[in-house]
Amino acid sequence: MNSTATAFIRPRRPARLGRLGATGLGFALPVSLFLLVAFDVPVLMMFGWALTSAKGMFAPFVEFFTRPAYIKVILNTLRIAAIATVSCAVLGYVLAYWLRSLSGTARLVALTLVVLPFWVSILVRSYAWIVVLGNNGVVNRALLDLGLASEPVAFLYNDLGVVIGTTNLLLPFLVLPLYAAMIRIDGRILQAAETLGASRWTIFRRIFFPLTVPALAAGMVLVFILTLGFYVTPAILGGGRVPMVANMLDMLINRLPRWELASAISILLLILTLLLHLLYVRLSRQAGN
Amino acid sequence: MIFTKRQLLKNSVGLVAVSALGLRAGQSRAAVSEFRMIEAGGASGESIEKGYIAPFTEKTGIKVLRESPSGLGKLRALVESGDNSVPLLEVGSPELYQAVALDLVEPIDWDVVNPDPIFDEAKHEYGFGYQYYSTVMAWGEGQRAPKDWAEFFDPEALPGKRSLPDYPSYILPMAALAAGGSIENVYPIDLDKAFESLERIKDSVSVWWQAGAQPPQLLQDKEVQYAASWSGRVAGAPGIEFSYQQGLLDLAYFVVPKGVDPELKKAAMGLLHEMSVAKNQAVAADVISYTGPSTELEQLLPQDRIGEFPTTTANKSVQMFNDGQWWFENADEVEQRWQEFKLTL
Repeated sequence: MNSTATAFIRPRRPARLGRLGATGLGFALPVSLFLLVAFDVPVLMMFGWALTSAKGMFAPFVEFFTRPAYIKVILNTLRIAAIATVSCAVLGYVLAYWLRSLSGTARLVALTLVVLPFWVSILVRSYAWIVVLGNNGVVNRALLDLGLASEPVAFLYNDLGVVIGTTNLLLPFLVLPLYAAMIRIDGRILQAAETLGASRWTIFRRIFFPLTVPALAAGMVLVFILTLGFYVTPAILGGGRVPMVANMLDMLINRLPRWELASAISILLLILTLLLHLLYVRLSRQAGN
Repeated sequence: MIFTKRQLLKNSVGLVAVSALGLRAGQSRAAVSEFRMIEAGGASGESIEKGYIAPFTEKTGIKVLRESPSGLGKLRALVESGDNSVPLLEVGSPELYQAVALDLVEPIDWDVVNPDPIFDEAKHEYGFGYQYYSTVMAWGEGQRAPKDWAEFFDPEALPGKRSLPDYPSYILPMAALAAGGSIENVYPIDLDKAFESLERIKDSVSVWWQAGAQPPQLLQDKEVQYAASWSGRVAGAPGIEFSYQQGLLDLAYFVVPKGVDPELKKAAMGLLHEMSVAKNQAVAADVISYTGPSTELEQLLPQDRIGEFPTTTANKSVQMFNDGQWWFENADEVEQRWQEFKLTL
């Protein structure tokens, strides 16, 4: 029954596929419509608040640029994002390199451990850092007991706390694509270099590393973009001392409520993110080649 | 930041269209069977459930669905989107004045509420003051007790890390008081003096808290030695001591979002009546040590821990009352200076 039905339908399928799939539009249409109605239109309406403010068309933008506090928060966000990106890149590169050297089961186990944190909520993981790094936490107690510190080290409630938390959360976003790029490198190229007498360091520096740079750069841009929007981590691990743009927007939207200004800041943030995204697309295309 | 009606209308057209697709709940019906309310959440929400909703539902058969947390942002979203299904929403006293100025609330129907005797400040034209709470000084067991805010704000007199609210309206009055003066004349707040006090102490502040659950946890973990905390969070908490001395007494209000379904509003006024009953307030105060506005509540409170409650005669007399009107009038300047101060941390 089943097979006759399939046989009956089969001849017609290529034609239909051709019509739908010629541009791919047919497949993308339902989800595009959904996104248009459920996401794009609301976002545009949100932009409307900044442009139709009672005080004048661009009043919220003028307010943003004439109040140093808001610009400083944005700059601080960029600074934290840059630090988190660099720490992700350094740790992530070493981790991906090590993953590549593993074989079989060990590699599977290690990869699972990298992905595992994805299944735990951001909130829980951020709070977990308090248990680990707080004054009364595991690390500080060990440091004090071993006599390595005379008073608890302030890991939390400062820039360091936010960077630690952010790096932990975003590391997989960098490690996984980087690891994928590393295992794509043809081992024979490296062997060829070796037979020509290159040292291991020279091989890494002149062949291996340059081949991974596009993937590394793409991962770094991705981490940077994601850090720009971080809310939970600075709120919990920053102790209210590390002002970031998402937390400022929360205040403008929920507490004050000054949606016009929040909308203007969101527009500027979106423009910045889109520019970074363009960079990301270019870099990941290069990494793909 | 004041909106004209036309402005609100223009902005809300699209949202109304969206909500008309089916987000609207609680349409006008002859008999109301349930309504939604938005409140602060946590133990405070449970106290509303046990103290007020339970007797209300028993009497009327109307169910009340609690949602949290609350805030001016949610109020504005409800009103501008034309969602008329939420007749009650909780705000703090500074927010009450702002909500009125933004034209987001409608008057309480005091004739329908028909309250038992309650304090005058709880009977606002646009708000039912249902819960007193204080922001007080608290410290970890074994620490030396600060005698007033001047000492609390002096890291040399009282060494140790602090946690302070990340809300200017809950810490600037104390900061102003630390610079001199008395609780009677703290308003109008001298912002220069208040920020000077904050400058003096900022290096000793580990955490600027946003959630009321943070300060007791930080004190118990010995992450900080001193904190300015909401009274209900530290009263009776193990390992924590606190004092109402120079505390900041405040009143949380329920408001009615503008344009709400009149039937739901009428039903909600019945719930507000339950909130004025002293007996119900005693039940709520047993869940969390915040107190309702009844003038007859004090003798109904558990006498063995009477010191925990913010509005007993003894505690009320040593505290200052927050001035929502002042916060409303100075909101812009305060917000700007607060942001700039936070950036220097």
